[in-house]
Amino acid sequence: MMEPQFDDLQDAPLTRGDDIVLSVKGVSKKFCRSLKQSLFYGLQDIGAELIGSRQQQRTLRPNEFWALQNVSLTLRRGEAVGLVGANGSGKTTLLRMISGLIKPDSGTIRVRGRVAPLIALGAGFSPILTGRENIYANMSILGLSTAEIDARFDQVVEFAEIGEAIDAPVQSYSSGMAARLGFACAIHTDPDILLIDEVLAVGDARFRSKCERRLSELLQQGTSFVLVSHFFQGILNICQTGIYLAQGRLMASGSARDIMDQYEQDLFSVKRERAAFPFLLPPKSPQDSAGADLVSIYFKDAVGRLMEVPVSGEPVYICVRCKALRPLNALSLFVAIYQPAKDNSLALHMSSAYDQETFAVSPGEYELRVFLPHLGLLPGSYTLNVYLKEGSLYVLDAYESLRFSVKGHEKLNRGQYYQPREWQITPK
Amino acid sequence: MSNRYPESEVIYTPESRLRHPWQLIRAMGRDLLAARELAWRLMVRDISSQYRQSFLGIFWAFVPPIVAAAGLTLASNADILNIGETDLPYPVYVLFSMSLWQTFVESLNGPVQAVIAAKPMLARINFPREAIILSQLGQVGFNFAIKLLLIVSVFLWFKIPVAATVILAPVALLHLVALGTAVGLLLAPLGALYEDVPRGLTLVVSAWLFITPVIYPPPQTGLFSYLVRLNPVSPLLVTTRELATTGVLSAPVGFWLASGLAIVGLGASWLLYRIAMPFVIERISA
Repeated sequence: MMEPQFDDLQDAPLTRGDDIVLSVKGVSKKFCRSLKQSLFYGLQDIGAELIGSRQQQRTLRPNEFWALQNVSLTLRRGEAVGLVGANGSGKTTLLRMISGLIKPDSGTIRVRGRVAPLIALGAGFSPILTGRENIYANMSILGLSTAEIDARFDQVVEFAEIGEAIDAPVQSYSSGMAARLGFACAIHTDPDILLIDEVLAVGDARFRSKCERRLSELLQQGTSFVLVSHFFQGILNICQTGIYLAQGRLMASGSARDIMDQYEQDLFSVKRERAAFPFLLPPKSPQDSAGADLVSIYFKDAVGRLMEVPVSGEPVYICVRCKALRPLNALSLFVAIYQPAKDNSLALHMSSAYDQETFAVSPGEYELRVFLPHLGLLPGSYTLNVYLKEGSLYVLDAYESLRFSVKGHEKLNRGQYYQPREWQITPK
Repeated sequence: MSNRYPESEVIYTPESRLRHPWQLIRAMGRDLLAARELAWRLMVRDISSQYRQSFLGIFWAFVPPIVAAAGLTLASNADILNIGETDLPYPVYVLFSMSLWQTFVESLNGPVQAVIAAKPMLARINFPREAIILSQLGQVGFNFAIKLLLIVSVFLWFKIPVAATVILAPVALLHLVALGTAVGLLLAPLGALYEDVPRGLTLVVSAWLFITPVIYPPPQTGLFSYLVRLNPVSPLLVTTRELATTGVLSAPVGFWLASGLAIVGLGASWLLYRIAMPFVIERISA
């Protein structure tokens, strides 16, 4: 098992013993797949704890599995670490052990200072009570005294942008308002360690960037962060270091960017092998055909040579070879490109039909293509869906989730897309 | 930045916390102190949201003992029910005893229900677990204060003489609440895991009422009287009632035995609650 090495970071604070706020050493946790058995094991554990016989647990009982196995990490004051990994890789379990909600089955966790979980926003909110009353209840649960809440009250209301509604019951709030209020409460508790689990998706974009600004302020003031996210940019913006978990094991740790790159690569290798281009589709029998069939899918460069890996910013043709079995009045091509690394979000969608470009064809084989003078996709891995349609609705043939990757001349996977550009300077 | 606890370091290990009893007891004491303010907030939150959603409000605290007293008095007057002699007029006897019994039941059900209601919060935030119990006790106290209004008005109406020992009655009442809380706290972690507990508790409570001298005076002979005397609630409830009214105690030994049981039991239950909660939380959350 790899030990995390943060020392290769230039901007990490100097190693001073008393700067470490969180130290997780060889921590494991097991969970049970069956609820009934899980409850029974719970009773067993309580019994063992009561007779004082509970020790380091190394073995699994029937139906149990390691939700987290031998994970270690160290966090210093003012440092932010990003946890990545697929669902079920143990990220939340780790956060819950750090916040002291559940006990590790082996290993040790040392925490120095106040831990605030940004896991449950608005925990303990009562819909009947007003925003004002709920702020007091919620921040109290997060560990503040009444005097401390009084001192922060105005800041919280201002941050949450609740305004006049502060004296209205929370059940009359929109979901965005309630979430903002919860976030504002949690972030104003002045913690030493902030545990953030996928909560940055709160509110609209403007509020999100406000949250990120507040987080970076806290970071500069010396708060340490453990951030869990599927959203890569969020981690890259805030964290210097990253930890990659898979099936409860620590796969790698190091600089956030390297970890992200590795995670992104692994995200694909477990799914499907990279396709070879041109990608040939199995032939269809005529009775299965809807009138035209896809034969192959491939990319070509500006001069028409086949290419395996398109290059960011360069001209590219996305080509589809197809066979029309009957005359078609309005053959059209839909192309959709998704990014699995960003929650499988749609990166690009193009349709010849929407561009008022449809083709009347007689039976025969054709190469239907779309020319992109500058490929706008950033280097990374993508999946491609193509739909051959008659008009804009009638699907003749389709192929989905064809994996491909885009490379770049330089490492430029920041931002959203490739912008063709020229740099200029003129004396004035 | 908050350097309020510069030296405080918390260590989580799989080792049983009972191996370091002194640390455990100190942590319990610290959390109990830390929980006061939160408990107050939670109590205010629960009581105000409860009454804000109710048109009749505290009326609901009065109704059950009044209905019970009225029904039983009618039945007794019609000779359907043969109660025997009570040292107070029967309606007052039932109303007062019923209020005490309900306070006991509330303190018994309280911890179980509070832990079940707070599940989502417990699963996500590490706050002093004592807070929800203290808040529940506060609510028991609040509800009793309302019932006290009713009791005082009925005492005035029936012109019941009150002995000087009435100032000691709250002590006995506290022991009664301690007994209820001890049992409730013992069952609370289990109740969060298994639904059988709250269900079974409802059944047990209704049976328990019949072996407690609430609607009848303590029987003196027979197997049944033996059963009633074994019931630790009986001496606590009877003593509270006697201290407030006649001042003559019928079961002082039983009272001290039951009180000892309540206090020791409360400490033990608290320890168990404390030890068991992390394991319960591990199992209740998704």
